[in-house]
Amino acid sequence: MHCHKYQPVPLTRREMLSRCTNGFGAAALAALLADPAYGVAPPSPVNRLDPLAPRVPHFPAKAKSVIFLFMDGGPSQMDTFDPKPRLDREHGQPIKVKVEPTQFNNVGMVMKCPWKFRHRGKSGIPISDLFPHLSECADDLAVIRSMVSNFSEHTNANYFFHSGHGQQGRPSMGAWVTYGLGSECRELPGFIVLSSGMIPPGGLDCFGSGFLPATFQGSLFQKGRQPVADLTPSDANSQKQQNKLDLLRKLDRAVVERLGRDDKLESAIANYELAHRMQTAVPRLMDLGNESKATLQLYGIGDAATDVFGRQCLIARRMVERGVRFVELLCQHVGHDRWDQHSNLKAGHEKNALAVDRPIAGLLKDLKSRGMLEETLVIWGGEFGRTPMAQGADGRDHNPFGFSMWLAGGGVRGGTIYGQTDDYGYHVIENKVEVHDLHATMLHLLGMDHKRLTYRFGGRDMRLTDVHGEVIHGILK
Amino acid sequence: MARFHRKLSFVGVLMKRWSTLLLILTCNLSPIRAEEPSRAAVEFFENKIRPLLVEQCFSCHSGKKQRGGLNLESRANLLKGGDTGPALVPGEAAKSLLIRAVSYKEELRMPPRSKLSDQQIADLTAWVEQGAPWPGSGATSAPGEKIDLQKLLSHWSFQPMRLPSLPAVARSAWPRNAIDHFVLAKLEQHGLTPAPEADRRTLLRRLTFDLTGLPPTPEEIRSFLDDRSPLAYIRVVDRLLASPAYGERWGRHWLDLMRFAETSGHEFDFEISQAYLYRDYVIRAVNDDLPYDDFVREHLAGDLLPTPRRHPAEQTNESILGTGFWFLGESKHSPVDLRVDGADRRDNMIDVFGKAFLGLTLSCARCHDHKFDPITTREYYSLVSYLQSSRQQRAFLDPPERIGKPAAEIAALREQAARLAIDQTSRLLEARWKALPERPTSTTGRHETLIDYIVFDDFSQGDYRNWYVTGEAFGTAPASVYDVELDPTHTPPVRRIFRGAHSGRVSQRLMGALRSKTFTISKKFIHYRVRGTAVKVNLILDGFQLIQDPIYGGLRFAVHSTEPRWHVQDVSMWQGLQGYIELLDDGDGFLELEQVVFSDRPEPPIEASVSATREQQLEAIRHWREGKPVDRRILDALLSDARLREKAAPTNAQKLQELLARAAELEAKLPTPRRGLAMADGTAVEERVHIRGNPKTLGETAPRVLPAVLVGQRQPVSRQGSGRLEMAQRLTEPDNPLLARVIVNRLWHHHFGAGLVRSCDDFGHQGDRPTHPELLDWLALELQRSGWSLKHLHRLMVLSRTYQMSSRGEDNNNKIDPLNLYLHRMPIRRLEAEAIRDALLAVSGRLDRRMFGKGPLPHLTEFMVGRGRPAKSGPLDGDGRRSVYLNLRRNFLPPMFLAFDYPTPFTCIGRRGVSNVPAQALTLMNNPLVLQQARLWAERTAGLGDRERIQAMYEVAYGREASTEELAQALEFLGQQGGTAQSWTDLAHVLFNVKEFIFVN
Repeated sequence: MHCHKYQPVPLTRREMLSRCTNGFGAAALAALLADPAYGVAPPSPVNRLDPLAPRVPHFPAKAKSVIFLFMDGGPSQMDTFDPKPRLDREHGQPIKVKVEPTQFNNVGMVMKCPWKFRHRGKSGIPISDLFPHLSECADDLAVIRSMVSNFSEHTNANYFFHSGHGQQGRPSMGAWVTYGLGSECRELPGFIVLSSGMIPPGGLDCFGSGFLPATFQGSLFQKGRQPVADLTPSDANSQKQQNKLDLLRKLDRAVVERLGRDDKLESAIANYELAHRMQTAVPRLMDLGNESKATLQLYGIGDAATDVFGRQCLIARRMVERGVRFVELLCQHVGHDRWDQHSNLKAGHEKNALAVDRPIAGLLKDLKSRGMLEETLVIWGGEFGRTPMAQGADGRDHNPFGFSMWLAGGGVRGGTIYGQTDDYGYHVIENKVEVHDLHATMLHLLGMDHKRLTYRFGGRDMRLTDVHGEVIHGILK
Repeated sequence: MARFHRKLSFVGVLMKRWSTLLLILTCNLSPIRAEEPSRAAVEFFENKIRPLLVEQCFSCHSGKKQRGGLNLESRANLLKGGDTGPALVPGEAAKSLLIRAVSYKEELRMPPRSKLSDQQIADLTAWVEQGAPWPGSGATSAPGEKIDLQKLLSHWSFQPMRLPSLPAVARSAWPRNAIDHFVLAKLEQHGLTPAPEADRRTLLRRLTFDLTGLPPTPEEIRSFLDDRSPLAYIRVVDRLLASPAYGERWGRHWLDLMRFAETSGHEFDFEISQAYLYRDYVIRAVNDDLPYDDFVREHLAGDLLPTPRRHPAEQTNESILGTGFWFLGESKHSPVDLRVDGADRRDNMIDVFGKAFLGLTLSCARCHDHKFDPITTREYYSLVSYLQSSRQQRAFLDPPERIGKPAAEIAALREQAARLAIDQTSRLLEARWKALPERPTSTTGRHETLIDYIVFDDFSQGDYRNWYVTGEAFGTAPASVYDVELDPTHTPPVRRIFRGAHSGRVSQRLMGALRSKTFTISKKFIHYRVRGTAVKVNLILDGFQLIQDPIYGGLRFAVHSTEPRWHVQDVSMWQGLQGYIELLDDGDGFLELEQVVFSDRPEPPIEASVSATREQQLEAIRHWREGKPVDRRILDALLSDARLREKAAPTNAQKLQELLARAAELEAKLPTPRRGLAMADGTAVEERVHIRGNPKTLGETAPRVLPAVLVGQRQPVSRQGSGRLEMAQRLTEPDNPLLARVIVNRLWHHHFGAGLVRSCDDFGHQGDRPTHPELLDWLALELQRSGWSLKHLHRLMVLSRTYQMSSRGEDNNNKIDPLNLYLHRMPIRRLEAEAIRDALLAVSGRLDRRMFGKGPLPHLTEFMVGRGRPAKSGPLDGDGRRSVYLNLRRNFLPPMFLAFDYPTPFTCIGRRGVSNVPAQALTLMNNPLVLQQARLWAERTAGLGDRERIQAMYEVAYGREASTEELAQALEFLGQQGGTAQSWTDLAHVLFNVKEFIFVN
């Protein structure tokens, strides 16, 4: 039920600034004007025209960066963070409440959790044995057990989870955050998606910039040697490559002289400088040679099961260190499907958990030991949860009516449990948290009021949270 | 007297009874009267209920904040309720929405965050059961805001267009045509002076890119420079407007509005069948300068035009292809909630319709009356009603003579054969019947229709009254007793009498579709009596067009059975939805559908025997032969009676064989029908308003009409079917204030870098005001006057002096008008993604100018991953085809396009972004396609002397000569790189990267 059909009306930089004078735009404008590049000092072309320049938030931020661990497919809440004894009692019996329509309409009996839950840490948060390493960080986690989504299908739910809207075409949260705050990093994009091999349904549009300028779109970094498309210089001979760039600079300068000063033209030229910096920065970023052996071990790098995701978690830390604003991590292929266990829940969830448990725990511990966790908001979750009754014999179908996620670091109160589902873990009954609330909370921790982070187009001030969203104060410090 | 007395006393009793009755009524009514409640009730309310309301509900339902139109601050307001009706039925908790909502069992669940405690729910329930006593009742709050439509109607774009007189200008020698008068007047008004004229090379490059999306060739440059006649420029304009590349360029602009893509996106990115036919249709229409009003009518109702346009060479139905645009959006293969999915899909269709044709954000009225423009929610659902009365089809495009005519010839031969065979068969049967010692007495075959079974159709009426037929396969009526299966080698030659709707009577090679009227799923099961091979039966619910059977299944089945059998479809989970049955014969099979029956019972209706006397049987045989009405079931029984067939005398098969051979000959030559994505008419359906956009809370019905802001009181009248044709005709009448204004503004936008109304897709209150309102009206009226010729408008625009100005502004002008709102100069523009790629190919010599058809698959890189990835990659250079012909897959758009602001095809995009991302630089510096084309280009210029070669490269890339300095720089560079063949590739690569290559001034 959202108003969502406003077409992109791209703007010139001037128009953008002049239109942004309402709400958050004013802060952006003030920040830009306060930037020496905009003011008295002679502007260097790069800064003057760089929309990724850091901006001042609405109020002091708790978190500077976000690492979003997207658990594609939808992990099961009652098998991870939301223990439900009733499932044990009624295992194998028909569920005693009304069954909502499901994706497969293959509704089986109530199915108990195959793993044991234990109280973890000082806070005693129950976490199932799927996550032995993460359990050591229990006191850093704020577990939300009352998430809901509006969609039962992956693609819609993925778009919704990322952009607050169930169809293709809206800016992803990473794009919004980067639009709001710019980036502290001068040599990498502000919003990076680290792929471990699996792109969620809905494709790259989950990370798009929608109607925001393309500057804010997520940049996909693949695992492996060439993480970014077209990054490697075309010429192996660096002198010849340099000659080409030198000639290009000369000819471009002449173009400006002949055609006259023009923002678009000049920013297109400046753009090459960032691209050039990226070419050297990215290989340095991806090179883990100077990380200690202990660090690599912490992330499970070197062990077959955890190597892929461990590397990505470590690279995420290195990106945040360099000032990248928003890093999203995607799941890897573990032989089974990602967390989408329509059948064989036990084997599938085990493999998925195995791949991420130690790397994520490693990330949290590493961030903490470096004093970075306080400034980094870590978010873990999937697009929906799973049904308490089996799909077929041993799977679970999609359940958007109640599921769990957790947040850590960046102003979040660790050791918290928030919200509640019913005895089956099926529907939320207390402190329902919508995706919009999650977005509002994330923006809040980054120092932004979700109602003031707006972008005018198609005649409306658009927001990540649409016309919804409330900050979840119950999980904040 | 006594009698009279008795009578009186009777009246007395009656009165007494009445008063009792009245008393009862009063008692029942009393809670509604809201008399001051008892002390206990007040206490209960103040202690339990009021605090509960304040704490749990008031944050959304009090004061100015009235979510769902509901205010809970007084009893009267509860009784009045919100958008979904009264919140309270005093004394009846089960009927009170308030209690149902807090019970968390239905669609509406309140409070939305957390369920109330059991005690709180019990308290509220008790309170309502008591009659909802509320001390000091009676206060009501102010009614919710109502939008003042009359006020909104005064917005500029809804006013009739007025032909302005040409404004006077001081520099009277400057204007070349009317456009210049309007532009110059504004410039003078703001103290601006027009920029000088651009040089001829710049002008030619600008014009060529504008009209064709390609750079001018050196020959074209030469010929223009050599043509010193004053008509030289006009000649170029006419040449470019006549070139096929013009339609490719401007067709592509149109595709942006139609969110064109060739796959459905969503999870698996399924193909939209032959979507490229729509792209080709657009390119042809633009090249043919199809009058814009016709173009619009074809989009809205091309399937309903009495005389559709035909493809000039193929003679296929051209007009109907326009309607394909409706279905080019994102769609799902397995929506869990069909109603919600349908509402979302239709919303996208209306969004595209509103923005593209009318510059209106109609979709804003989906959940509430439009907040800024005079569009009500009911008007929005009126448009939905047009869509609900329409369907999707793969239309048959062939002219009648291509398939219809040979099919008719085959049918005639078959009929002749049938007559002969029936004659022979009936005589045989009759003879056998007489010869048999024991006469057959009973026949079977009727399906008993029990009270539990509702026959939707058994085709006993002899027509397709409940169905819509397309294609040739199903004929124009159901099978009769004269539609028979023949076998000349068999005795008797009639093997079987066809039944019901049959798609293989004339030839199994014919294709066709049969779609039922729309009905409501009222029973749990649908039973189909079917027979056939290689055919599909779909149940289309709420317009959910099947890509495949959804994951949960049950909406599609294939038929593979030579004998009739029942197929049972469990539709219990869709009861209440509207839908229709779709029979598809898309190949060499056939389908015979005898009956469709609805029932709550899962078992099909029972077949019962039907008896016929000997006389009736004999009569049936004779009548069959004589062409008189006859009960098919009796003949069926006789034909299937083995005793009647045995020892039958052999038939003379020769004539029959001859006829069938002639039919088979024609059959073998039947061409495959040509099909295309299109809309089709269905049963007229009136959608109901979705209160607050929720398809589960329905309000009043919305008749099929257009928003009043467009047509005033004179509404189109829908006589039958969807009414889209009448709607399209009304919408394209000249009094529509938006249609012409919006399209001329789009042309202006692409020629001058920004529209006169900058928000091209929003002419409403939230959109931008026109910078030159009189000019906009002048152009719009000129378009209508010219018979809606877009080429005429292009010509006017590019022949204007305004268009021919230089892009270099004077300092003073730049100060007064930094955004160049008033066009004191031409803007500098970056080329679109497609033009950049096309220019690479054109310059390198790789460009392949073939037009139309299925485009090459996208070239897949390791960064194009995810579900639905095509099995194989297309060629790196897309076979050299122009970008408009590349296969566009929603989830696998070319990265190069995305880097250069290619729009996500999710809705109408009239104005693309022009952003700056490092990916643009990285693409041009390192992308293999760019490197490949640089090498090709270098090779192409080999053989010239160094200086000529550099000059040739400059001319083809930038449309100009290299300066002495540039020549020297290039030569120096070549030396640095070693003067090899690779050095020339390096130079070509640098020239691709110089901004001049991707900018037009």
